Amino acid sequence: MTELCITATPTFNHIAQRLADFETLPEALDYAAQGCTGYNFYDSRGNLMTPLFYVELRRRALAAARRLHGLGLKRGDRVAVIADTSPAFMEIFFGCQYGGFVPVPLPISMSIGGRERYLQRLRRLLKSCDARVAIAPESMVSFVRDASDGMALDYSGSIDDFHALDTPDVELTPSRPDEIAYLQYTSGSTGFPRGVVIRQHAVMANLFAIVNSGLAVRPMDRCVSWLPFYHDMGLVGFVLGPMASQISVDYIGPREFAMRPRLWLTLLSRHRGTISFAPPFGYNLCANRLRLGDSERLDLSAWRIAGVGAEPVHADVLERFAEHFAPAGFSPSAFLPSYGMAENSLAVSFAARQKGIQIDRVDRTCLEHHGRALQADRADAGINETVFVNCGTALPGHEIVIRDEQGRTLPQRVVGRITIRGPSLMSGYFMDEEQTRRALDDDGWLDTGDLGYLTEQGLFVTGRHKDLIIINGRNIWPQDIEQLAEQFFGVQRSDVSAFSAPEEAESDVVLLVQSRLKDNDERARLVKELTARIRSEFGVTCHVQLMPPRSLPRTSSGKISRSEACRQYIHARELAVDNACRVAAVSS
Amino acid sequence: MTRHEQILDCLMVHLERLSPKGGKLHADADLANELGLDSVNVMDLLLEVEDEFDISVPVNVIADIHTPRQLASAIEKIEAA
Repeated sequence: MTELCITATPTFNHIAQRLADFETLPEALDYAAQGCTGYNFYDSRGNLMTPLFYVELRRRALAAARRLHGLGLKRGDRVAVIADTSPAFMEIFFGCQYGGFVPVPLPISMSIGGRERYLQRLRRLLKSCDARVAIAPESMVSFVRDASDGMALDYSGSIDDFHALDTPDVELTPSRPDEIAYLQYTSGSTGFPRGVVIRQHAVMANLFAIVNSGLAVRPMDRCVSWLPFYHDMGLVGFVLGPMASQISVDYIGPREFAMRPRLWLTLLSRHRGTISFAPPFGYNLCANRLRLGDSERLDLSAWRIAGVGAEPVHADVLERFAEHFAPAGFSPSAFLPSYGMAENSLAVSFAARQKGIQIDRVDRTCLEHHGRALQADRADAGINETVFVNCGTALPGHEIVIRDEQGRTLPQRVVGRITIRGPSLMSGYFMDEEQTRRALDDDGWLDTGDLGYLTEQGLFVTGRHKDLIIINGRNIWPQDIEQLAEQFFGVQRSDVSAFSAPEEAESDVVLLVQSRLKDNDERARLVKELTARIRSEFGVTCHVQLMPPRSLPRTSSGKISRSEACRQYIHARELAVDNACRVAAVSS
Repeated sequence: MTRHEQILDCLMVHLERLSPKGGKLHADADLANELGLDSVNVMDLLLEVEDEFDISVPVNVIADIHTPRQLASAIEKIEAA
């Protein structure tokens, strides 16, 4: 058998670099296609499967746009596509850009035995975006077919079937600056999906700020990424950003990364990657899986931007990674913390480049009781302090203001709600005026729901999206867990509260359930079944605790307060530990 | 011993090593519900499977698998393909 010799797209480009100064994505691809760079896809062993030069991507995207026209789609119609890390996704996504359609990247499920739950999720998403077309890679076409069963789509099928469609010779009008570039259903709750509407001018404004100010991209940069294309960081950061600055990218899929995290570093080493991002758990996974001699075999010296985002940044995880990979030439100054969200296309702020992780040590007591982030007294360093990581200042043209519950601006070092404004913001949640009104005010401010404070140096995020549970980079909405619990016998509606377990706990999540069940066997069975069901549905370990009726704290409006329930839970836990220590001390 | 049995035996060895916190290990135990495999365990298991049998398990297969026996059948099918 003859082996085809394929090589990755080069790092060096022969056209002059333009840093995302385009009006639209199709315009950006038109320019990138004049050069010789592109995207590269690797398999789970790190072998190059497909190089996709921007020029070839453009050719395929134009054909895809014609095929979509051929299906009778109207301008602005939604095209859902399973966001597999593959050339097929690129083709459809950019095909929509050239045809004036709206691509909707769909997530991929990686949980064992999770077919039903995944289908449910897809069905809700397809309905929410009112998709006209749903396309999947050949291996996943059954999901799309089953999920869209009973819906009157114009087309649903595999990418191969799609290729067999006619390409009518219609005149294409690419998506214009004020039209929708894509819908992003990244991290929404399963039960209540929210599609972030991003227009061309918004995503281009964000890309311009990111590649110019945030990363200061230069001609010989090369990106490496394993981030899923259905997340803002993967899509905007590592599909659109590199294309809009005409640089090459090397991809492995998120599943390949989860199985073989070292593959990420191997690609960075082999191709002298200079820019790559991950949530903290990605760095953690690499440090955990390190094998003896790994770092000697790697050369990470070219890696100038090791971005960190999407999760609260803990300095210790990153320090451990830096220590492990120092022998490979990794520089801790490459760490670049950032803050962002899909509602702002992607990025809101970046820390200063080449400074590494900058931390702020604050007095914990003062923070917890008065919401003030006063710098901790050096004398008793470590004893009563909390550490936060500097996420930098707002990108040019963007603003960050910290506000209290009444919307009043708070001074520096006072914790409040992070609100943002600027040209990268979404125009709203798709077909959801109520949620849009709740998030965006008349003056154009987005309430992020995150908590933090500002100093002269920048933004410090103290708690992400109120109540959001983040496990291994996955966002889990507590209401999804609560909704599941409410279906059990012996559990009343709105008698439950789910939240992230405190750091030192054995489980990922805590679920408190008010229950009137008296029988001990019944109570034990409820706890056991709930724990098992939550594990299979969400893939997380959960500590289920039954509570007496009317014991969960409520807000003034009568809803259970998750944050207060969490505080009480932690307090009770600490008391129990204290008591155990006292008992141990007495009995010894 | 059939190929299916060989694969299943091998899986059980790996599962034993992953020492899930949950219930007793047997060929028809539910991997997530009974054995308590979390997403990280599943990735570990797949890594072992892919290396051991030199195959690649497509992501869509995972969603339909509940037990070690089903996983063994899936591996056998992928090997034969």
